[in-house]
Amino acid sequence: MTDATPDQIDGAAAKGRLDRLRAGLKRRHAKEARFKWFGRLAIAAAMVFLAVLLVRIVEQGHTAFYTHTVTVPVYMDPARIDRAYPQGSNFEQLAAEQQLARWGIQDDAAGTASSQMKALFSSELKFVAADLVAKRSDVIGETVPLAVPLSDDADLYLKGEISQSTPQDQRRINDRQIAWLERMQAEGVVGSHFNTALFTNGDSTQPELAGVLGAVVGSALMLMVTALIAIPLGVGAAIWLEEFAPKNKLTDIIEVNINNLAAVPSIVYGLLGLALFINWMHLPRASPIVGGLVLALMALPTLVIATRSALKAVPPSIREAALAMGASKTQTVFSHVLPLAMPGVMTGAIISMAHALGETAPLLLIGMVSFVPGVPHAIDQPVGALPSLIYIWENASERAFHERTAAAIIVLLVFMIIMNAAAIILRRRFERRW
Amino acid sequence: MIWIYLLFLVALGAAAFLGGRELARRRAVGAKPHSRPGQHGAYALIWVAAPALLVLILLSVFATPLERQLTAAGTPEAVAALEPFRRDAFFADAHRVGRGEPALQIWERPLAEQLPVEARRMVSIERTLQWGGGLGAILAALIGGLFAFSQIKPQTRARNRVEGWVYGALFVCSAIAVLTTLGIIASLAFDSLRFFQKVPVFEFLFGTQWSPQIAIRADQVGSTGAFGAVPLFAGTLLIMLIAMCVAAPIGLLSAIYLSEYAGRTTRAVIKPLLEILAGVPTVVYGFFAALTVGPILRVFFNEIGLFLIGGPLDGLGQYLALVQNQMALTAGAVMGIMLIPFVSSLSDDILNAVPQSLRDGSFAMGATKSETVKRVLLPAALPGIAGALLLAVSRAIGETMIVTMAAGLAANLTFNPLDTVTTVTVQIVTLLTGDQEFNSAKTLSAFGLGLTLFLATLVLNIVAHRIVQTYREQYD
Amino acid sequence: MKFRIFRSAEDQTGSGPVDPTETPRMGGQLLPEATATSKAKATEEPRAYEASDLPGPTVVDSPPVGPIKIAARDVSVFYEGKQALYDVSLDIPDKTVTALIGPSGCGKSTFLRTMNRMNDTISGAKVTGRIAMDGEDINDRSIDPVLLRARVGMVFQRPNPFPKSIYENVAYGPKIHGLVSAKSEMDGVVESALKRAGLWDEVADRLQSSAMGLSGGQQQRLVIARAIAVNPEVILMDEPCSALDPIATARIEELIDELRERFCIVIVTHSMAQAARVSQRTAFFHMGRLVETGDTEDIFQNPRERRTLDYITGRFG
Repeated sequence: MTDATPDQIDGAAAKGRLDRLRAGLKRRHAKEARFKWFGRLAIAAAMVFLAVLLVRIVEQGHTAFYTHTVTVPVYMDPARIDRAYPQGSNFEQLAAEQQLARWGIQDDAAGTASSQMKALFSSELKFVAADLVAKRSDVIGETVPLAVPLSDDADLYLKGEISQSTPQDQRRINDRQIAWLERMQAEGVVGSHFNTALFTNGDSTQPELAGVLGAVVGSALMLMVTALIAIPLGVGAAIWLEEFAPKNKLTDIIEVNINNLAAVPSIVYGLLGLALFINWMHLPRASPIVGGLVLALMALPTLVIATRSALKAVPPSIREAALAMGASKTQTVFSHVLPLAMPGVMTGAIISMAHALGETAPLLLIGMVSFVPGVPHAIDQPVGALPSLIYIWENASERAFHERTAAAIIVLLVFMIIMNAAAIILRRRFERRW
Repeated sequence: MIWIYLLFLVALGAAAFLGGRELARRRAVGAKPHSRPGQHGAYALIWVAAPALLVLILLSVFATPLERQLTAAGTPEAVAALEPFRRDAFFADAHRVGRGEPALQIWERPLAEQLPVEARRMVSIERTLQWGGGLGAILAALIGGLFAFSQIKPQTRARNRVEGWVYGALFVCSAIAVLTTLGIIASLAFDSLRFFQKVPVFEFLFGTQWSPQIAIRADQVGSTGAFGAVPLFAGTLLIMLIAMCVAAPIGLLSAIYLSEYAGRTTRAVIKPLLEILAGVPTVVYGFFAALTVGPILRVFFNEIGLFLIGGPLDGLGQYLALVQNQMALTAGAVMGIMLIPFVSSLSDDILNAVPQSLRDGSFAMGATKSETVKRVLLPAALPGIAGALLLAVSRAIGETMIVTMAAGLAANLTFNPLDTVTTVTVQIVTLLTGDQEFNSAKTLSAFGLGLTLFLATLVLNIVAHRIVQTYREQYD
Repeated sequence: MKFRIFRSAEDQTGSGPVDPTETPRMGGQLLPEATATSKAKATEEPRAYEASDLPGPTVVDSPPVGPIKIAARDVSVFYEGKQALYDVSLDIPDKTVTALIGPSGCGKSTFLRTMNRMNDTISGAKVTGRIAMDGEDINDRSIDPVLLRARVGMVFQRPNPFPKSIYENVAYGPKIHGLVSAKSEMDGVVESALKRAGLWDEVADRLQSSAMGLSGGQQQRLVIARAIAVNPEVILMDEPCSALDPIATARIEELIDELRERFCIVIVTHSMAQAARVSQRTAFFHMGRLVETGDTEDIFQNPRERRTLDYITGRFG
């Protein structure tokens, strides 16, 4: 009999069975260990990805937080400055030529040297000088030191991001310019300092002048609109579904709807915004009002889901107690249940706002891909937003925008961390267990 | 303008509340009132605010379309005869002139004379609408207030009525969700229909050539531009598959480790870190893909290619040496990283829903943990995990920023992960962020793609939710 | 948590838990005789352990007859530092049904779970003392819990068949342990396990259908079949009938009686009547301590401890 029916396994058979059990053990435990290692590896992989992601962003972005300024003495040549219209004067050329003259460098007929020298200064020089002349016309005829940012390429060289070892035709700053830069450095007129422009300026086509303030304000305006629309609507919807909704077909449809809306790709909301708010209602393109509306519709389902779970966490005994005291359903919900659920509701609201802050795709479709200089101040004017600024800068051809993109990402992540931390603190602080 | 109306309405509302409360107090003398004076006040307030708000909302939604209708109705013949987009430009200029800004274009003779006339007409239409709407709102508020005041009697059940209104308002909040869905469907369907009038559905769904950029001239719409979306579907599918190849095993295994093996401390450390990974905005992943992962992968394959050139695998080497940053693998891999926490947390929930008694039963049989996971937990959780993976697939095909920043624009019909492909979402962004020309098949095709994307994700979500739901009920 | 409640109850009633040092006052039969009996058997049965190797149980009334399968000495269990079981010493004879009775939270299930080291799966659980199976300490580092559980099967309170087919449920143990390789052999093992569990006639024609479709009683018998398919030496049953109706319960009890011939069975039960019906030996637990143990008849007819009497006559529980 080959069939190992239990009846036969007795005495010697039992020993055989034990041996058989033992024989497989080593292999089984090896398998177990291997499987456990797979799990560890998976977690390690996820952690490595996270680390690489964050480290790379800091690595690429930290250089954007400081910048270089050069102080050049400029003789305000009365012959070349129009007192009535100082903006029209070519201060950059003036400064470049004077710098060359100071060093005794002869320019050729085409002005190659002076235009190469000019390329080391930021075009900000022109505005600084014009401003000065407009304010104090007595500087004309005098030599004044002007402190201006270095151009983006010069700045990148000093930060060590452009290497002299790359062939000259593959870099945007040539050997002669590098020599000049180093000479200026040796003369002690180049200083490095914290890049305040990054935080006080709006977007600019010149990397050395571009800042995130405009986008931060744009995002803030947009989030304000989103919060004002999404939070009341989301909380209201959640209250109705959780506390009032009758059990019927309509409620089911609404519930299924909300679950599905939460998973609709964000770009579809962008299409909705484009078709509904811009093409049909003719609200202003790229404005915080449109962006806020789109993000509000997008944030609504997650907010409803979060609020519902906060309401669910309030034990029914509270409702029963209030109802038993003669309070109406509405009074019970608004004066007893909702206040108790408030920390959970707030947490959900903050987290969904943080999520809305980082959302990009729908913003691109409602027009937030265009260059918006300056700092916005109204909700019906075109603005930029932080995530769309990141997208725009990432696409920019100037290399100096790369580090600024990473810097803008750091700013965005800091805002998101602050919001999430606020949510966590709120949850810890008011967490209540029944 | 609208602020003045709002301020006025707020004042009117406050007056209604206070007045209603006072009136209720006076009329209650001698009788036993059903509701408290404050509740009567609130009732009056609602009757002032609700009609006025309704009028204002209708106004803000319909004012512009109505304005266009009215403008179009009285258009002089010279203007009406213009081509549609020239006519739009004309009206835009008239609008500017009306606001005192210079016109953008120089218009020829009959039109130049019409411009100031039209500008005045448009301004007057705008004014009429604004004033009419504002007055309408105030009128509505007054009528509502008068009605409410007439209702202030001791026997009026003001509290119940107020609660009825609250109930209604809450219901409207919930209904917004349905309205949003309808709005999405309507806006996508409307423009898609216009697109499908120009390009047959069949050609769109089964055509293998995609080059909408050619069809820029209005008279060429649909004739030279190719709108076969199969390469986009294939590209989307390819990137999704790569993403799932990264996200599914890593996400699932880490969920298994976290729920079955990890101690409390490990969980307390790893879970928040995974949440950070989940909270990183997609535009950041896009940046990471474009400037970190892309170059790394390209250099890697190029080096292999250079090594192989001249050897027996010369052809492959030649190919690898020319691989680009924008290969499908870059976007797919980064998208996979993005989806890891999503898959992991969903699977974690699913595994935790498997009753402990099944684990106990298996352990008591002498199974090791891995045997329990592989032979009992995973088969038991299979439907739930399938649902979770479907949700991840739906996220992957709808994801926009990573592919926009890291995948290419070339609509290649290929399944080679080292080639550049383009996706539905990339094309939507590209088509709608360039210089748009309304009514062109090129612009409208974005809505066709959007509708396809919406329907695909909708079906996936419904199926996934249904599966997960049934799965959960099984163990409830 | 539960445990604290019991402690306070104990303080009020004043009937303190059994103190192991006071054993003689319990008037129990003392150890040497117990050892002698088992020793006599031990000489005939080479695989039975030498009971004299171990210090005997501190609370023993009538000693078990026949070879001892499991001997527990001073077993204590802690969950997250809280003690749930206090110094339990108990001999469990082979080919016998031993019932563990006592009010809920008394530690009987906890004790049961020490015998196949199921407490290992609970984080924060700690077991001290010595549990010997055939003379080997099962908590010894050299003992693999996987192997131990292949020798000590367990049936739980609620039937927990895996969401697989009936066949696969029964084949689960032999498969993971690699006991059976050929398909035909496996068919035989499944059939005989199902037959022993008295389920064969009911499911023979639908072996491939899901086990979740069976009734509660059938599921519990399937779980028993699953446990005996690996031919364990001991079967632990944790209130196996508490989720079943009276008819299904009767069926299981019958089954337990049949299985006694081949296995050492330990059953935790809430029902006095069930303990009386199915078991030959009974151990009464109270507040984490073993109060009294002996032949079932003795325990039920003339318990030595007041608390045992109170419990079996329904004065508390």
